[in-house]
Amino acid sequence: MAAYIIRRVVWTVPVVLLVIFMTFTLMKQIEGNPFRKTERAVPAAVQANLERKFNLDRPWYVQYANYVRGVATGDLGPSLVLRDRTVNDIVEEQFPRSIELGLLAFGWAVLLGVPAGVLAALKPNSRFDYGSMLFSNVGFALPNFLVATLLIYFVSVKWGVLPTSGWTTWQHKILPSFTLGLVPMAYFARLVRGTMLETLQQDYVRTARAKGLRRRRVVGVHVLRNSLIPVVTAAAPLLGYIITGSFIVENIFAVPGIGRYYVTAVSARDYSVVMGLTVLLSIIVIVANLVVDILYGILDPRTREART
Amino acid sequence: MRLRVPLLSAAALLVAVALVAAGCGGGGDKKGAGGDGKQAAQQVLRMAWGAEPPSLDPGLATDTTSSNVLLNIMDPLVRLGDDQQPVPALAESWDVDGKVVTFHLRDDGRWTNGDPVTAHDFEYSWKRTLDPKLAADYAYQLYGIVGAQAYNEAKPAQAAALRDKVGVKALDDRTLQVTLTSAQPWFVQQMAHHSFLAVHRPTVEKHGAKWTEPGNIVTNGAFKLAGWKHDASITLVKNADWRNADEVALDRVEGRIIVDGTTRVQAFEAGEVDALDGGGLPPADMARLKQLPEYEKYPALGTYYYGFNLKNIPDVNQRRAMAFAIDRRSIIDNVAQADQIPATGMVPQGMPGFDVIKQDFLPVRADLDKAREFMDRAKSPKRKITLFYNDSPGHKEIAVAVQGMWKELGIDVTIKAQEWAQYLQFLGPPPSDAVYVYRLGWIGDYVDPMNFLELWTSKSGNNNSRFASPAYDRLIEQARSTADDDARYELYRQAEAMLTGPQGELPITPIYWYTYTNLERESVKDTFHINLLDQFDLSKVVIEEA
Amino acid sequence: MSVTEIAGRLAGVDAGAPIRQSSLWQDAWRRYLRNRGAVAAGVVFLLILAWCVVAPIVSPHDPNRIAFSDAYQGPSWSHPFGTDQFGRDLFTRAALGGRISIGIGFGATLAILGVGVVYGAISGFVGGKLDNALMRFLDALYGLPYLPFAILALAIIGTVNFWTMVVALSIASWFITARVVRGQIITLKENDYVRAARAVGVRWYAVLGRHLLPNTLGVLVITIFLELPGVILGEAFLSFLGLGINPPDASWGSMAQDGRDAYRAHPHIIVIPSLAIATLVLCANFIADGLRDALDPRTKET
Repeated sequence: MAAYIIRRVVWTVPVVLLVIFMTFTLMKQIEGNPFRKTERAVPAAVQANLERKFNLDRPWYVQYANYVRGVATGDLGPSLVLRDRTVNDIVEEQFPRSIELGLLAFGWAVLLGVPAGVLAALKPNSRFDYGSMLFSNVGFALPNFLVATLLIYFVSVKWGVLPTSGWTTWQHKILPSFTLGLVPMAYFARLVRGTMLETLQQDYVRTARAKGLRRRRVVGVHVLRNSLIPVVTAAAPLLGYIITGSFIVENIFAVPGIGRYYVTAVSARDYSVVMGLTVLLSIIVIVANLVVDILYGILDPRTREART
Repeated sequence: MRLRVPLLSAAALLVAVALVAAGCGGGGDKKGAGGDGKQAAQQVLRMAWGAEPPSLDPGLATDTTSSNVLLNIMDPLVRLGDDQQPVPALAESWDVDGKVVTFHLRDDGRWTNGDPVTAHDFEYSWKRTLDPKLAADYAYQLYGIVGAQAYNEAKPAQAAALRDKVGVKALDDRTLQVTLTSAQPWFVQQMAHHSFLAVHRPTVEKHGAKWTEPGNIVTNGAFKLAGWKHDASITLVKNADWRNADEVALDRVEGRIIVDGTTRVQAFEAGEVDALDGGGLPPADMARLKQLPEYEKYPALGTYYYGFNLKNIPDVNQRRAMAFAIDRRSIIDNVAQADQIPATGMVPQGMPGFDVIKQDFLPVRADLDKAREFMDRAKSPKRKITLFYNDSPGHKEIAVAVQGMWKELGIDVTIKAQEWAQYLQFLGPPPSDAVYVYRLGWIGDYVDPMNFLELWTSKSGNNNSRFASPAYDRLIEQARSTADDDARYELYRQAEAMLTGPQGELPITPIYWYTYTNLERESVKDTFHINLLDQFDLSKVVIEEA
Repeated sequence: MSVTEIAGRLAGVDAGAPIRQSSLWQDAWRRYLRNRGAVAAGVVFLLILAWCVVAPIVSPHDPNRIAFSDAYQGPSWSHPFGTDQFGRDLFTRAALGGRISIGIGFGATLAILGVGVVYGAISGFVGGKLDNALMRFLDALYGLPYLPFAILALAIIGTVNFWTMVVALSIASWFITARVVRGQIITLKENDYVRAARAVGVRWYAVLGRHLLPNTLGVLVITIFLELPGVILGEAFLSFLGLGINPPDASWGSMAQDGRDAYRAHPHIIVIPSLAIATLVLCANFIADGLRDALDPRTKET
């Protein structure tokens, strides 16, 4: 196991380089000028000054090498569009908020989604089954922007219970995190229900039941553990989704996080911001996947052999 | 088992009810008695900004939000008066002698650290903006000054020498002399633009790119930047030491940054903010918002137009037909909905000299008879064309409306959207051959028709139509050095006629002239004002008792 | 595309043992029909499909005709869903939008599934160095921003159309499927019957086709019907960014987005497409459950 972990950790270096390279190439392929933000044409001299300042006049491999060197020393470079700030500033200031939003959303999802799935699976095809599946899926079935708009309208404008937008007090954080949590919530509920049902039919569970073990113990010890494996597998990419996929939620609820920046930076062709955030995100996802694979091995010893 | 179907429809019903209930909700909330002019005890304005300012460095800022924050924390040499003429601000007077403009600064201008504001500050700041090493996007705003462009284009080796040749010089602490490349009658009021603000040299040199952070920044305006949480909030407090502080009522301006238009309106309706920044209201909600007592609109200097690619639609008769088939009034009433003005020319209404320049050839309502007449005259008209727009809110709806209007002429329009950065690249100039018609708008930088008409010169980077006329170029060149207003307006009239007059080439067809729309609590409605250039002066705002 | 077709396609994955399989699918079909909830969802699903196909053909209204005098009408007999800001009939337009949304949904879902299954199965089955390399490459892909993919697809194809949307929505969405399939294959590979099969010299493709892939079906069925709503909602997300389908065509997502700003004054404009999306997504979920129960005989006695 230790050798396996070490090998995986070593592997992250070429993977991150690959991510940088692919993002770099991708961004260069998209047309657009980061220095022309409005319809106003940019005079050639101004354009040349800007390209020189940000080293965009150098050949692509020099730019790439410079960038990789910067990443290695923890310097993600200046933003091309937010002229007073560097990518490091943006990340340090705004990334924690996105992580907080993502974790809170994840909390909602686990808190409401997993129990809904477990209980639904224990009494399949009952009213409770349908009810909890419906509950966990209605929010997911509606477009995010509609849910957000309606929540703000009812909860904030009409009833005046919570603030409409912003990210200052805990009251501000309820609506955005709940909205963002709807998709993973439904996902968990369905996934847990599905795998639980499957596990309940496995031979070893039947055997355990036949041996006279109490249902609660069977479910608690055998079924739940095995049913949570897919949940763990899904958790890592979901975490990535939650952190980057928060664009709509951050935008509508005016959360000063990174998800919104990500999308705006792509639109503005702010290469350095896009690259910096991509690298950061990919490292997070890679680490999350690594953790998952290790957990997977622990939860399901059968796979250990296949991977060490 | 039987539960499933009812549950499904119950869910659907639930959602429907929620949505309908949302729609039925009441209009505006509490309405004040309508200010009786009494000043409220607490002078704190809570407002919503539509964007994070990309930079609060006057040399680097390019957008409306940054500009509005800057013009409230910094003192410009002049401000734009109600009649669009410059009024004294930090400069108490100025002399114009042909190409030489001399500003006389007040003696009580102070930086927030106590230093006096001098003419040297301006000389330093403008040259800094032109410095190729700073690489300022808006350096070209200063290109009217002698030697400015040469310095901005300079190679590193010659930069120092060219820097000294820039025609801006502080004769003493209070006298700033500017030499222009030609007589530019609009130069003095151009000082109201944020690109001409001064920065505090020691601060800039000490903190570098970080000088605009709240702890570092040194300003000289009516308000101080007390807080700036990036992408979240901007807090301004009254600058008690400002030259005119006695007349400033507001103690604090608590700004929140809310990008989404619908959320901005919701924050206003929930009573969390007292005013928006004029950054535009959601078009689809306009009909409702216009009924609110808090609704306010202001004239703007801006033209929303459709440009033709002359290579693909070469016959002017077809362009005339298409321009005549557009129902501008209907687009405004049914689609854009923000009380815009139907545009019949490039130069917008409200511009000095407009009455001389205007052509009144294009119709406000669609004139299909004439349009068909023109169409019949067109030689081999193009009946399958492609219309491009960028994907920001509102443009799609107008494109759909125009598509329907041109269908009346037997023209089959394909509409294509592009994302902004890609779109600009696509339009050139020269535009891609796929483009037949494109949408763009122009918002004025300064109050002179030149700013709108020079776009259509053959070398202009904003002329995406392939319209190129030496005669037009000559007219603009002549106007550039004509100081006399009446003579210049006559030249503008001829230029406008070449664009949108009866014999005009119609490289574009204007759709509407912009307005700024806003929501303002009635307690501030009387004193909150947005001028033609989308600027608002918070030092004039008073919160009245409700 | 109907439920049976999907089932057929899924069945096609397992080409190893046709005779046994046909009876398996017949059994599954019988089991599915016994599940009334799933049948009801399937019927609603088919009704939506029928509406999308038929309504525009029989409708007396030109879906693109602009008449501002008819704008923003509420539901009535001649306009069951009312009209939009251009006075266009929403009953017809929503049906046309459904064609696009559902078409994009299935197109992208099949693409996701196809790529994901092949990638995941190869990785999980072959294992070793190749598995490691494929998974690390997947790690790199995971980290890539989704939106540039969409914009790039847009830039290459030139504009937003049906196929751009399919590419944009599937290009960065097959990673999860690949990982899930791989995980399942690895788990199953260690099962006794697989070991036994390999021990007696059954060829690798037979093992993969007969034993491994069919046993991942449970997961795949969940995945396909989890992806379908995801893709349809993803399309709404792109519409939110303004990268929706080009007008005058519309999808449910872009119609809902158009209605968002007017949600107070004219709620029906956002209600109709949102309800359509919600109903479709809920149906997809119930169908998924039904198929799942039907395809996995072990659960039938529950």
